Amino acid sequence: MATYIIRRLLGLIPTLFVITVIVFILMHLMPGNAFLALTQNPHIKDAAEVIKRKEAEAGLNLPLWQQYVNWVVNLLHGNLGTSYQYDEPVARLIGFSLPNTLTLAITAEIIVLLAGIPMGLLQASRVNKAFDVSTSFFAVLLYSIPSFVFALFLIYIFSFTLNWLPSFGTVTPAVPWSGDLGDRISHLILPALALALPSIAFYSRLTRGNTLQVIVQDFVRTARSKGLRDSRVLFRHVLRNAIIPIITQFGFDIGGLFSGAVLIEEIFTWPGMGELTVSANLNRDYPVILATTLIFAVTVLIGNLVADILLAIADPRIRYN
Amino acid sequence: MAVQALHNKAKTGETKRKRVQSPWRLSLQRFMRNRLAVAGFFTLLVIIFVTVAAPLFTPYNPTAINIMNTNLPPSAAHPLGTDGSGYDNLARLLYGGRVDLTVAVAAALMTMLIGVIYGGISGFFGGWIDNLMMRFVDVMLNFPFIPFILALEAIFNTSGELILITVVSLTAWPGPARFMRGIFLQLREQDYVLGAVTIGASKWRIIFRHMLPNTISSLAVLVSMSVAGYVGLDAGLTFLGLGLPLTVPSWGGMLSQASNYIDMRTEPYSWIPPALMIILTILSVNFIGDGLRDAFDPQART
Repeated sequence: MATYIIRRLLGLIPTLFVITVIVFILMHLMPGNAFLALTQNPHIKDAAEVIKRKEAEAGLNLPLWQQYVNWVVNLLHGNLGTSYQYDEPVARLIGFSLPNTLTLAITAEIIVLLAGIPMGLLQASRVNKAFDVSTSFFAVLLYSIPSFVFALFLIYIFSFTLNWLPSFGTVTPAVPWSGDLGDRISHLILPALALALPSIAFYSRLTRGNTLQVIVQDFVRTARSKGLRDSRVLFRHVLRNAIIPIITQFGFDIGGLFSGAVLIEEIFTWPGMGELTVSANLNRDYPVILATTLIFAVTVLIGNLVADILLAIADPRIRYN
Repeated sequence: MAVQALHNKAKTGETKRKRVQSPWRLSLQRFMRNRLAVAGFFTLLVIIFVTVAAPLFTPYNPTAINIMNTNLPPSAAHPLGTDGSGYDNLARLLYGGRVDLTVAVAAALMTMLIGVIYGGISGFFGGWIDNLMMRFVDVMLNFPFIPFILALEAIFNTSGELILITVVSLTAWPGPARFMRGIFLQLREQDYVLGAVTIGASKWRIIFRHMLPNTISSLAVLVSMSVAGYVGLDAGLTFLGLGLPLTVPSWGGMLSQASNYIDMRTEPYSWIPPALMIILTILSVNFIGDGLRDAFDPQART
């Protein structure tokens, strides 16, 4: 298993290489660069001079391949560079944004799994009964609502109309309880729900379908005829077998939730990777663009890897070597 | 499918009474029996009708600013009020639907075109060509979506329907390409392909004349599912300010303009209608997609 994981991790390198090269080229194809904004600064008299000096400092005069090699060398030394627009180490910006996005994405993922899988199981165990039909219809409805539209409705209902939950930021500023666990959780609920709801529907449909295939198999009948309780059969015997395709999907989704968070972060002014990525791209902040791209790509790839590993744990028949 | 259908009928002993029905007819029958799919189909027809025939329902021009009448509440003259620029909300809702639907359908078709050509070549030739092409798909599937879209938009340096369609299809093609490759890999082993090879048909003729028509049913499902996805995606991008410019009426644009903290609370009539239109469109297209998938399923009983 360990050698498999190491081999997979090494296998990520070519993919990351191609992705960063493409981003590098695209980034330099974008018109303008971060320093041109300095011409708009009234305090800088000789803008042309300053821009020239800044560009030289950032190494933008070097040939493209040289710039890429420099970036990779710095990366291998653990140096992500300095942001052009904030004049701060990129690592620090990421260190601030990444935990926020991770909190949001992981909370959403937990909500999805805790709600979606049991829902699908219950639907499958009551297939074509009223509960199944009504919740299945409801699931398609939820699945058809884009998460950002959900976000608007959630804000309108829970923040504006009922006034229960805050609609922006991660903490309430200027109150004694600012930054408390409760305060943070209350800020987290709406964005996490908006991110999770469409996926809940998707997972419950997926679980329902898989369970229906498993529930007719012989070992389930054996378990029942042994006199086990229905709930035990369902959660112990059926779920264990029905969950395997869900794990694969879960791995794919880690990356998806991560990028899906971009829109949600924008709506809830959640200071995460989404905001950082968008502003970096709009301001041609090359080091930040490369760093955020790298992190998004690594998340997706790690997600797939985690799915494969979980798969081997869940299904002893799968052997990697 | 025809054989399957005959087989089914032979089982129920109805072969003598009914004449043989074509697979398309059987699929159509199955589709028509799916109530949700039919309801989705008619809902979509209604949406298309009100957007195409928008001038019948509203006298206003969706791009004409009227600064004397900004932020009006709903009234007889403006059933959904007007927004901050004096645009009539109903006019923007109806005309915006044209733009949203066109962009989503065009993007779906273009994605499929890329996907079919790429996946078809990869799946048909197999071997190292397939290997190389699929490695590239793997890379593109892992490619972070938002930075890519931002970069493409900055490079094209304009925003508008055509750019949005191009951007979406350039980012979304790897999924369909991989899916179509799988189908072509299966079809390649079919006897009629072997037959075509033995009578000396060229590779391209086999791909496009013999194999492609047999992928139509999968394609139809894929297109409808993609349309549903792209309606949401386009609206989301426009909402972020990365899709259509605000001068073009669109549902995402309406949401984006009305979703600031003041308007959202005080003017629900300006953002709830476009939100509902987005949901309704996606929902009906999803039901149609589900219906098509079941209708084309060769294992389904008639």
